[in-house]
Amino acid sequence: MTVALEATGLGKRFGKRWALQDCTFELPAGSIAGLVGPNGAGKTTLLHIAVGLLEQTSGSIRILGENPGNERVLSRVGFVAQDTPLYKYFSVDEMISFGARMNSSFDIAFVHERMSRLEIPLDQRAGSLSGGQRAQVGLALALAKRPQILLLDEPLASLDPLARREFLQTLMEGVTDTEVTVLLSSHLLTDLERVCDHMMVLARGRFRLIADTNDILKNHKLLIGPRERAGAISGVEQVLHQSATDRQATLLVRTNGPIIDPSWMVNQVSLEDVVLAYLDSRSTADATNGELHAVEEVAR
Amino acid sequence: MIWVAWRQHRKQALIETGIMAVAALLLVISGYQMIHFFKSSGLAQCLSTAGADCGSLRDSFENHYNGYQVLVPLFLIAPVLFGIFFGAPLIAREIENGTHRLAWTQGVTRKRWLSTRTLMITGFAIAGSSALTYLVTWWSRPLVTSGSGRFTPGIFDLRGIVPVAYTVFAVMLGVAIGAVVKKTLPAIGLTLIGFAAVRVAITLFLRQHYLAAKHTVSAFGAFKGPNPVGHGVWVISQNTIDRVGKIVARGGGLDFDYLASRCPGIQPPIPIPGGLAKGSGPDVIQSCINHLGLRMSSTYQPASRFMTFQWIEFGIFIALAIGLAVFTVWRTKRLS
Amino acid sequence: MIEFRLEGRSGIAPYLQLVQQVKHALRLGMLRSGDQLPTVKEVVGSIAINPNTVLKAYRELEREGLVEGRPGVGTFVLKGLDGPPPHAHAALRRSLLRWLRSAFDAGLDHESVEALFDSTFREAAEEEIA
Repeated sequence: MTVALEATGLGKRFGKRWALQDCTFELPAGSIAGLVGPNGAGKTTLLHIAVGLLEQTSGSIRILGENPGNERVLSRVGFVAQDTPLYKYFSVDEMISFGARMNSSFDIAFVHERMSRLEIPLDQRAGSLSGGQRAQVGLALALAKRPQILLLDEPLASLDPLARREFLQTLMEGVTDTEVTVLLSSHLLTDLERVCDHMMVLARGRFRLIADTNDILKNHKLLIGPRERAGAISGVEQVLHQSATDRQATLLVRTNGPIIDPSWMVNQVSLEDVVLAYLDSRSTADATNGELHAVEEVAR
Repeated sequence: MIWVAWRQHRKQALIETGIMAVAALLLVISGYQMIHFFKSSGLAQCLSTAGADCGSLRDSFENHYNGYQVLVPLFLIAPVLFGIFFGAPLIAREIENGTHRLAWTQGVTRKRWLSTRTLMITGFAIAGSSALTYLVTWWSRPLVTSGSGRFTPGIFDLRGIVPVAYTVFAVMLGVAIGAVVKKTLPAIGLTLIGFAAVRVAITLFLRQHYLAAKHTVSAFGAFKGPNPVGHGVWVISQNTIDRVGKIVARGGGLDFDYLASRCPGIQPPIPIPGGLAKGSGPDVIQSCINHLGLRMSSTYQPASRFMTFQWIEFGIFIALAIGLAVFTVWRTKRLS
Repeated sequence: MIEFRLEGRSGIAPYLQLVQQVKHALRLGMLRSGDQLPTVKEVVGSIAINPNTVLKAYRELEREGLVEGRPGVGTFVLKGLDGPPPHAHAALRRSLLRWLRSAFDAGLDHESVEALFDSTFREAAEEEIA
């Protein structure tokens, strides 16, 4: 199967409020995707629907080709919820037993090796682990299932920078040499930049950008030039963001060809700046699934 | 999964067993004391002698163990304790702590997770309540034999097979309410209220109608003798009726104003401190009763129907429990 | 063994940064012919980047003939990188000085020179690889 997770017109409403609307995407198998957006954007809602904890209001979603929560996919999906829920009064060793008995295949040796490398004692109560240790235990338990797809809800949010780095190292190591698809949500772009080859940008329940990271970097540029030069620039598909002093204009643009106009200086843009431009509600940006089509202005 | 379920209920089970052990010890000690007195006072002998009047022995026994009589109703709450201790937290605590996001994303379906844990706690509850019922039945036998019989509401509920059904119902009620409310403490409160409401409603209003009650008319015997309708019978209501069948006094007592207005010379008893009232003597009153043709009308369920009623009530509560179980499965399918 | 680094906001694609670091190590003699490059797993375990980035970098080095991947064993350095001969360095230095002087004469300050150099350098580097 080539698509690990796909949705069409997915929507979720809580009472009167739509937490997700018109979500359509295809996540290729083997990719490491980052689901990024501000708090309240709907990231947790989307992940919970994908793993079968929540039922959607409209649209459809398929994980590994099945309905979420279906018996056939339960053991092939690894999930760690926000703040890594564990049973506080279980020891680490008992959490491992838990994992082993709740899943048909579970690599106990793998978890033991992880715990000893990270120096987490097996008899320690889960409730007394530090934030970084909890996150590592949760990740190890999920990886031990040898899942085909791994979903992580804000795994880095409550971790200090060192713990964040260690978590990402562990995660990347764990997925090397496997075909596992990873979808992790975060509002920390710098960490996602390093590890993700796909970005899914979500704001206020709608996707603003879904694309391969390399394509994003290739197809977005920062143009600096004299202020008077207005009008269409060849090679620019859409201006996402612009600012100007009395002399100079700076444009963040999406390109569909090379910029040959000599009056514009062309610079690279960081992933963070591109994502921020798409998140900015004043921007008319909306692009999905790698083809980066311009869409009508998103209603505020 | 069984290991997981046991590990999560281990502490509850051990505490519950501890409490039951203490209760059992108290019951056994006091039970033997009662049996001893029952025999040594001669009451046992008297009751097994046909036709004997054991009134004074009975009164003495009841006075001696008056305190224990009060304890008996406490065992009525045992089923709901199982319900709030095991049942209410099952789903509620899992959701309250957020660990459902862990438990329901493993390789076990939600239905299997729920059924394994529910079966386990129901198993504990059945074992616990069966043991308790057996002990309480044994312990209360002297009290019941000397008293009003096992069919009486309050005693019926503690014997036989119904306590187990109440317990299973209480546990399923707790689980279902926990699934709806999703917070442990409110779930506990609502389970207590719900259980009490259902039990009271069924005991007071429904039970007497399981089978059509029987009626009988007997001589007015309010002044002497045991229950005119027989031992072990559940008297639902008694009324004093006149010659033509009109109800003169509800509850089978006497309305002295009624008597006085119809029989000359009747004076109602005037209570004086320290003793019985002065007034017309029992013979005068009796002749007035005969003159007016007053009799006792009783609505009752015969003693032989005790087990039948037990099975009917057992069935009702088990059916309710099953309904709650189905509801819970449906409810937890896609919530969060 | 070489240790990799990633500069977050340098604007240079991550895999290119790895390629450059290998070439730099080769030039300085820190990596020699026959040395083994760290495995993908070791690299991602130490600097937490996407494994595909490492794979892409190693493929690029292989394409340039600098390393060789042996399946089941690892990736090994094939040959060193010699720098240009010393007199080439001196000539390049002189032409660079000439360019800098004309830039300053044109009125650019130090930061403008750096900015101009950086963006042109990046363009050229990408063209070379592409």
